[in-house]
Amino acid sequence: MKLRNRVTSGKIALDMTPMIDVVFQLLIFFMCTLKVIEPEGDFDISMPLGAPSASTVTDAELPPFKVRMEADGAGDLRALYFNGTNLGAGEQAFARLNSEVFRAITALQAIGKEQQEKQEVEIDPDYSLHYRYIINAIGSCSGRLGTNGVPVRYISRIKFAPRREP
Amino acid sequence: MKIKAANVAVPEIDMTPMIDIVFQLITFFMVINNFDQNEADERVSLPRDQLAKPPAVQRKDAFVMNFGFERNKDGSQASPEPYLFFGDERLTLEQVRPRLRQESQFYSAIGTKLEDVTVEIRADAQIQSGMVQELIQMCQEQGIEFQRFALKATQQSVP
Repeated sequence: MKLRNRVTSGKIALDMTPMIDVVFQLLIFFMCTLKVIEPEGDFDISMPLGAPSASTVTDAELPPFKVRMEADGAGDLRALYFNGTNLGAGEQAFARLNSEVFRAITALQAIGKEQQEKQEVEIDPDYSLHYRYIINAIGSCSGRLGTNGVPVRYISRIKFAPRREP
Repeated sequence: MKIKAANVAVPEIDMTPMIDIVFQLITFFMVINNFDQNEADERVSLPRDQLAKPPAVQRKDAFVMNFGFERNKDGSQASPEPYLFFGDERLTLEQVRPRLRQESQFYSAIGTKLEDVTVEIRADAQIQSGMVQELIQMCQEQGIEFQRFALKATQQSVP
C-alpha cells in the first residue's frame, strides 16, 4: 500500500493585521498624551502662624537670618536686605545674598556643625513683590551649584515672616 | 497555442522591520512620558532656579495646588486676577477655603496624618508673593491644618 506524505512543510502564515492595528493605536495614544514638561524641583518652606511671638530661648540663641525684600510699584525688586544690609536690586543682589549667606554660615561652622542645621532664614517680602524673586532668594539662601553640578547646601530651614498688608 | 494563466498570487510583504520600528517608537514615548507630573497645569508659568532639582524620592502624600493666571493662546495673561486651578475648576483665593477643608477631611478620612501630607504650591512667577503667603496661612487655619509646604520651581539649566 502506498502511503502519502500528508505533512506539508510550508510556513504557517500568521495574520499580523490585528496586532499591527493595536500597536498603531498604542503609538497614537502615547503620541497624543505626550506632554513635554521641564523637570521641576521644590523648596520646603514653613510659615509661622499669626503674629510673631516673643522670642523663645532657641530664637534668642540663634536668631534667624532676615532677608527683607522691597517691591516697587510694578512688583519688581527695589531693594534686598540681608540682616539690615542693603544688597541692591537685580541679579547681582541675589549673587551678593548668596555670598553673604555663605560668609554667615562659615562663621556658624566655626562654632559647631550642628549650628548650621539649626539656622533659619526668614523671608520678609512686600505683598506686591513678584513671586519669582522669592524663589530666587530661597535659592540663594539654600546653597549654590558646585563645579560638577552637585548642589552645595547652605541652609535648608526657610520660613516666611508674617504677611505684610498690601 | 495554449496561453498560460498569469500568476495572480498576492506578493508577501515582510512586516518585521516595520513592527520593530513601531515597537521602538512606543517604548520611546512610554519612557519620555512623565506620568508623575499629570497634576501640572500649563497655565502656570513657574519661576526658575538652578537649585530646584527634582527630589530623588517622590513624596507619598502630596497635594498639588496650581496658582496662576488664565492665559490667551499666545501665553499672555488674560486677566490680572490669579486663580487656583483644580482640573477644569478655577477658584479665586477667597473661594478656595471650602476646597482646602474638603482635602484636609479627605486625608483624615483615609487615615493619613496631616503632618505627613505636603502641600506643593505651583505658583506663577508673576503672582504677588503676599497671595502665596495668604494661601499658606489659609492651609494652616483651624479645620484645615496642613503643616508641610513646598514651593515648586522649574530647574534652570546652567549656562
